Amino acid sequence: MTGRINKTLGLLIGAYLLVFLQSHWQGPRLWLGFQPDLTPALLVCAGLTLGAGHVSTSAMLTGLWLDSLSANPLGLSVLPLFIAGWAVFTFRDLIMRGELVAQFYLGTAAGAAVPLLQVWLLWLLGAAPLFGWEMGVWWLINALFCGVAVPVFARLAKLLDRWFSHPIHDQNRWPNENRQIVRGKH
Amino acid sequence: MKRFFYKSQQTAVGAVLLTVFLLLVMPESARARLKSAIGGLFLPLVGISTTGQVAFESIAQLGATNSEPSPTNQAFGQAPPSLSVLQEEVDRLRSVNKHLSKLLALEPLIPWETKLVRVVGRDPFNWWRRIRINLGSNKGIRSNQPVISAKGDLVGRVSVVGPLTSWVVLVGDPNCRFSALIKESRSQGGIVSPRQFNSDLRTVELTYLPNDVELRPGQAVVTSGLGGGFPKEIPVGQVVDSWLSKDGLYVEARIKLHANLNQLETVRVLTRY
Repeated sequence: MTGRINKTLGLLIGAYLLVFLQSHWQGPRLWLGFQPDLTPALLVCAGLTLGAGHVSTSAMLTGLWLDSLSANPLGLSVLPLFIAGWAVFTFRDLIMRGELVAQFYLGTAAGAAVPLLQVWLLWLLGAAPLFGWEMGVWWLINALFCGVAVPVFARLAKLLDRWFSHPIHDQNRWPNENRQIVRGKH
Repeated sequence: MKRFFYKSQQTAVGAVLLTVFLLLVMPESARARLKSAIGGLFLPLVGISTTGQVAFESIAQLGATNSEPSPTNQAFGQAPPSLSVLQEEVDRLRSVNKHLSKLLALEPLIPWETKLVRVVGRDPFNWWRRIRINLGSNKGIRSNQPVISAKGDLVGRVSVVGPLTSWVVLVGDPNCRFSALIKESRSQGGIVSPRQFNSDLRTVELTYLPNDVELRPGQAVVTSGLGGGFPKEIPVGQVVDSWLSKDGLYVEARIKLHANLNQLETVRVLTRY
């Protein structure tokens, strides 16, 4: 239970800090000309390692936080983020999720899909976002950033897990099985 | 596929879909309030980062100016301002005086009760179509109150009200649609934002005009008062050109707004209309 709470708390605090940094840290905007959005990478990470509840909670809260600090209609980002996280969660048993390359591809795919879904939803809601070639380049770079961010987030999550959670209980922790005293019935 | 939906997974998907649905059907004003409340969750972090930045800057300044004399001593040592500086100050005050006198003279021409407010900012995410004014709920500003220019031309409506300042969404933004009519023929239509990006931000589109309407460039367009959001007969702009819609069911027209939305310094909020 404690481990689960730790993971949930860690995920939500991470999402909160990530959204805040994305909106208030002007460095990337000055250097790249746009503000990278790494929240799809976070959802991919949650989908790879955590449960259904974690994916839905983080998608809802991250989406709402993101929209509250942007010009998006409130709730617009929830569904795209959830779809990205849920797709990874559903098929994660079929993916070599520990592999760096797999994580990179998943992050890139999610980083590319989420903005497209957001634009599609905006169209459905009757908004007319402006487009240009520059935006296409930004979209690609952002997808690559998400690809890079997934392995980073995964390693960070492992590190935090090691720091703040109890080690997994292993019934047979004796280093050498030959010297272990096994008590039988008689 | 059998494992696709456990009960906990059903709950998770259901919760997300329900949240999205509720947010989409929520009235716009409630959504705006919720958005600002959720955004408020970041205030502690904003405070910490601002305080840290200020502290860092003041420490840096302290290090840089430690050996220099204090500003008061510096002022004593300075020569009195030159005649040209004083003349510039007089010119500035004269232009401010002239501007305020003009605004006062325009006051009796506007038939509604208004509050004169200053434009103090623009929305970085929606630069051309959203401005911030210097009055909020503490001075009786309410959501959806119409906003007109100092001369009386339509500018937009109040979208979000804070305690000290408010946001105004300008005409041409998708969130500021309203019913308008051609002043001569009294034909009614709806003002919408331009469908494609237009470098002239003063141009908007008037749609759903009847097929038999006679439109000429230069005809005046005013608010129709339908819906109650805006009072009747606020000047909006004039017709530039018109065309039949793609499906041939109605006529559309391009309207040039009277108010220059990029030169707004003072605007009026209609408090009683």
